[in-house]
Amino acid sequence: MSKRQIVALLALVGLLIAIYLTLYKAGAIAELACSVGSCETVQMSRWATFLGLPVAAWGIAFYVALLTLALASLQGGLVDSRAVSVALVAVTGWGVLFSAWLTYLELFVIHAICQWCVVSALLVTIAFVIAWLDLRDQRRSSETSVLA
Amino acid sequence: MVKKQAPSPPKPRSSPKAFYVILGAVAVIGAYFLYMQTRAGSGAASATTIDPNVPLPKAEGYVLGNADAPVQVIEYADFECPVCAYFATITEPDIRKRLVETGQISLRYMHYHIPSHPNTWAASQAAACANEQGKFWEMHDAIYESQDRWAGTATRKPKGVLKDLAERVALNVRQWETCFDTQKYQPQLLASQQDAERRQVRGTPTFIIGSKMIDHNMSYDQFKAYVDTALAAAKAAAPNDSAAKKGTITRSK
Repeated sequence: MSKRQIVALLALVGLLIAIYLTLYKAGAIAELACSVGSCETVQMSRWATFLGLPVAAWGIAFYVALLTLALASLQGGLVDSRAVSVALVAVTGWGVLFSAWLTYLELFVIHAICQWCVVSALLVTIAFVIAWLDLRDQRRSSETSVLA
Repeated sequence: MVKKQAPSPPKPRSSPKAFYVILGAVAVIGAYFLYMQTRAGSGAASATTIDPNVPLPKAEGYVLGNADAPVQVIEYADFECPVCAYFATITEPDIRKRLVETGQISLRYMHYHIPSHPNTWAASQAAACANEQGKFWEMHDAIYESQDRWAGTATRKPKGVLKDLAERVALNVRQWETCFDTQKYQPQLLASQQDAERRQVRGTPTFIIGSKMIDHNMSYDQFKAYVDTALAAAKAAAPNDSAAKKGTITRSK
């Protein structure tokens, strides 16, 4: 599997988690029994909404964008595009920063950890590292082509 | 034989077909999981029909409102449960004002302690000891409002905060502290716990309204809908013959 394919796969898993949490927030999933851990605390806190929308809904938008970009990067003309690699690093990098802020809130402000949010943060971090490796590969291959 | 090296080796195009199969499989499995989750939570499936004639427990909990109200609602709750706190602080004020104070329902609070909550038993002790001085509901509200200060995620020693609350609701703190330290009402809490288990309560909050047991949080409107159904059933049935229940937990055993 190529690096960009892995990023696309990670984005899809992240998207599913974001949909799950959005449905939960919207009340379509009424599993509010306390046995699930501290997800309720996090989801009920005032930090679970950002600019009027549930944070998880922003997560959906983010992962859709990342998935689209990653899938596009696999198509014919873009496979060797360095600009696309830069874009992937930028998007996943933004995701890492936002997740870091949310994790900070969970640990030090809300004092509760939502395991799904942690999984999402890990996914986006891995995606960022892989996107960065992909960009490095692009640089190398362009260098070799210059040399040749 | 030596192969000629291409000037710029083409990037390895790792089989796109396999990739899209994996991607599709993940999407389908994920969508199925989400679908099952929404179904599990949908209205009708989350209310179970139970026998309304199961006799009241020995542990009687704490009653708010007229004990002879036509519909007697029971709530099984855990002081350390965030959703219970949400219900108690956001939804319950409306219920008290519009349903309890108008005499349509009584609200009975029963303890059900979730094993993963380290400080919930201490909070229940604190509330039971406040009940001894006739201030269960004041303490109930104070405990839920300041859940973030005494819960297991905030501290390993909840007593300090609970004592502050006892002071805040104007209890005789010395009497409260003796009661708390000796775990005076532990048997009642255990009885309440056993009663919940007997009724197959599995999470909190769980409500019993008429012949329905609802195992999740509700908005006021959802709660009211269950109450209306139960009121209609109560009117249709013979005059209510259930005995008046005292507003305290009885000392069983």
